[in-house]
Amino acid sequence: MKKTVSTLFAAALAAGTALAATCVAAQDYPAQPITIVVPFSAGGPTDTVTRLVAQAMSEDLGQQVVVQNVGGAGGTLGAGQVAAAANDGYTLLLHHIGMSTAPALYQSLPFDPQTDFAPIGLVTNVPMTIVARRDFEPETMADLITHIQENGENITYANAGIGAASQLCGLLLMDALDTRMTEVPYQGTGPAMTDLLGGQIDMMCDQTTNTTSQILAGEIKAYAVTTPERVAALPDVPTAAEGGLENFELAIWHGLYAPAGTDPAIVERLTTSLQAALANETVAQSFADLGTYPVPADQATPDALAQTLAAQTELWAEVIAAAGVSAQ
Amino acid sequence: MAINASRNDLASGGIFVALGAYFALEALRYEFGTPLRMGPGFMPVVLGSVLVALGIAIVLKGFRKPDEEAPPPVPWRGIALVLGTVVFFAATIRGLGFVPVVAISAFVTALASRNNNWLSAVIIAVGLCVLCLVVFVVGLGLLVPLVGPWLRF
Amino acid sequence: MDLIASLGLGFSVAFDPVNILYCFLGVLLGTLVGVLPGIGPTATIAMLLPITFTLPAETALIMLAGIYYGAQYGGSTTAILINLPGESSAAVTAIDGYQMARNGRAGPALAAAALGSFFAGSVATFLLAAFAPPLARAALNFGAPEYFSLIVLGLLVSIALAHGSILKALAMIVLGLLLGMVGQDIYTGTPRFTFGVRELFGGLNFVAVAVGVFGIAEILRNLEDETEREVGVKRVTNLWLTREDFRRIVGPVLRGTGLGSILGVLPGGGHILSSFASYSTEKRVSKNPREFGKGAIEGVAGPESANNAAAQTSFIPLLTLGIPAHPVMALMVGAFILQGITPGPNVINEQPALFWGVIASMWIGNLMLVILNLPLIGLWVKMLTIPYRVLFPAIVVFACIGTFSINQNIFDIYAIAFFGIVGYLLIRFGCEPAPLLLGFVLGPLLEEHLRRAMIISRGDPTIFVTRPISATLLALALAAILIAVLPNIRRKREEVFVEEG
Repeated sequence: MKKTVSTLFAAALAAGTALAATCVAAQDYPAQPITIVVPFSAGGPTDTVTRLVAQAMSEDLGQQVVVQNVGGAGGTLGAGQVAAAANDGYTLLLHHIGMSTAPALYQSLPFDPQTDFAPIGLVTNVPMTIVARRDFEPETMADLITHIQENGENITYANAGIGAASQLCGLLLMDALDTRMTEVPYQGTGPAMTDLLGGQIDMMCDQTTNTTSQILAGEIKAYAVTTPERVAALPDVPTAAEGGLENFELAIWHGLYAPAGTDPAIVERLTTSLQAALANETVAQSFADLGTYPVPADQATPDALAQTLAAQTELWAEVIAAAGVSAQ
Repeated sequence: MAINASRNDLASGGIFVALGAYFALEALRYEFGTPLRMGPGFMPVVLGSVLVALGIAIVLKGFRKPDEEAPPPVPWRGIALVLGTVVFFAATIRGLGFVPVVAISAFVTALASRNNNWLSAVIIAVGLCVLCLVVFVVGLGLLVPLVGPWLRF
Repeated sequence: MDLIASLGLGFSVAFDPVNILYCFLGVLLGTLVGVLPGIGPTATIAMLLPITFTLPAETALIMLAGIYYGAQYGGSTTAILINLPGESSAAVTAIDGYQMARNGRAGPALAAAALGSFFAGSVATFLLAAFAPPLARAALNFGAPEYFSLIVLGLLVSIALAHGSILKALAMIVLGLLLGMVGQDIYTGTPRFTFGVRELFGGLNFVAVAVGVFGIAEILRNLEDETEREVGVKRVTNLWLTREDFRRIVGPVLRGTGLGSILGVLPGGGHILSSFASYSTEKRVSKNPREFGKGAIEGVAGPESANNAAAQTSFIPLLTLGIPAHPVMALMVGAFILQGITPGPNVINEQPALFWGVIASMWIGNLMLVILNLPLIGLWVKMLTIPYRVLFPAIVVFACIGTFSINQNIFDIYAIAFFGIVGYLLIRFGCEPAPLLLGFVLGPLLEEHLRRAMIISRGDPTIFVTRPISATLLALALAAILIAVLPNIRRKREEVFVEEG
């Protein structure tokens, strides 16, 4: 991985030199603190991921990297703000899978996720866990599948509102099992987890960042993780495929973006910085504690992010249309 | 004007009826839902109707008894300058930047009081500008341009 | 580990000189941001998160917790002095606190708030240390039906917030409930009453509404007639509590502490109710309900105690279950994670030094706050001698910057102007703003829990009476109505709600 980083670094330097004649700004970049906008409130999983990465990037760039929370409207307010920001490389966006679901969920989106941003790279793919209250009857993933198919709408399924990771996971699950459960929306994951702990509702599917500690403490039951491989922090929890649910894969991918039209040299510099941050051991350790991991360096690239965004936008357009969900 | 009713009750009741009606009518456009799945329109329609009813009750009560005190004068100058400043602040904070906006806002607001003149308003504006810079920008690290893009050449 | 040994460990951590220093910095900063209108603990903690990155975990959390409860102390100061509450709890303090200040009794009001808060903070910290895990378990029994019934009870008893017309108070509560519904419906995603403005999808900002209907509206009222009377306060008579004051605040402080401690544990919105519940209780049990709204010291001491007790006990769900009860607690979760600790049920066993250290530091922090705040009272009261013509531009500008700093959302500032004029008109016509704010914060919760309860019960409304806690709460609410309606106790009721006619 180190080799890739240095190769890319060399490439970035070369690209930077080539452009130096036309753009003086890129040479001194970064000359002032950089702001990464998180389109969610502080303290949430995306915010935490961003702060960890920002800290490591600021060491690499030798400039302060400040995290700014612009929450609201399912992440579209913050994203819209960055889309409209100056493309000088000093205002960036760290957004998750919601970037690809927004076009399907919101009819009047003031920006286009695919054309209004210059992708910098993928950051992490946070696995999801399918969990239930402690005394929910099914014991294994196979039991759960049968239970859901038999009881359908009698099962209450918590999610954190329209477009939230937990809702997307539920939609995909119901799609895969071809059945409906009763969805109970909450104002965020915290209250949903509260009711799950209190046994007020049956099931939830949420990011490991939120569920790992509760699973390890035995407060909730975990059936499966949604990634192709098991999660290091939860070695006893099988993957969905192992549990008998084929073709069910979902990770909450996070990407870093600059506004469209940002000097390619600056984007390159930010990509190398992101890769350096993801290679940082403190970041890797903190990510592991959260039940996730940094993407490999070949994923932390503009191309990988652009491809992921395009593919996911297509996928979710179908799933969301099939489920008839809209946030207008 | 010698109407034998409480102006306060008529006016406030009227405001409640108007706002309640707005909320209820607007909410009729949203899905009302069923008891199991109450739609987004359910609560606003119910509460809006309750507000209209309360407003009517307040108006009716107002006809029973006039106000005891004459209403105080309306501070037109204060309303215009204070609210104007707040709107000005919102419209220009991103464009003009922190320093000019705070200075102008403080200056104009100060003029809302008849006890201030041009000179005292200027002094207040400068003083507040320094104070706000120290507290918000230096002390709390507020992220806002000191002089905004509209003033850069 | 038994309680004594645990607390011993806690105090050994909290008395570490570095931790003492950061605890002090936290409460000092908290007091300052609490005093500034608009900007609150949420914004401050968010801005300081990166700084705490470099500190040891205990130190970082001790400081952040200090900012939070320090801001609860500071928040009452602006509410009392200039009628500018920064959050829902302080809105209640503003009712009688500001009237006390206008009567020249800002000193006793601030002192009552500080002493009540200190007592409540100490008791609640002890509860937190002794009973946190069982309390948190008990709170989990509160599901959607229980919260709905609790909010209904809260709304019904809170009509006592008004000292004028009961009809107008009801109307203001309902208007508040409706305003609370502005924004995207979380169940269907339908945007409601947003005029297509995306900034409104998340709902109206509480600070913007509060600053508008309290702060700006009050300024406009003061500008009504400047020639006849000098706006502001009567001459300050004394700075400290009289013997009579002490006698009057004992009961409210005790009751407020009890109410706040219990409500604070409930993660679904209990802490919001604490100060409102305390105010209503005091008005009901008082022999002089007519004084409420005109500067009753009980109306300051009770709610301030309740609010501070709730601030401490709202750490219980966070520390024992890893559940954040409100946005500040969500930030604390972030702080935990940045420190490499995943908040959850295991923190108490895996990180005993951290858990008990933070708790012990809360008591020390409360002590620091009372020592810090009592001498400041003189200074604050002096601030009132600043001529109003200088003070009000400062309030307007501070309110704008403070509100802007929360979300960097320009729309929040337009909302200040809108609610300033609406609030001014309604107050001018004899309606009071506090019930509106109560409705505003409870509206979304009321709707959310009602709809969720109906989904969980599959459309069966008997869920509210078949679940014992919910049924008890509804019975209490019914009793509150009966007391207000039954003719044979009508005379007593009229003492509670003095009709202005």
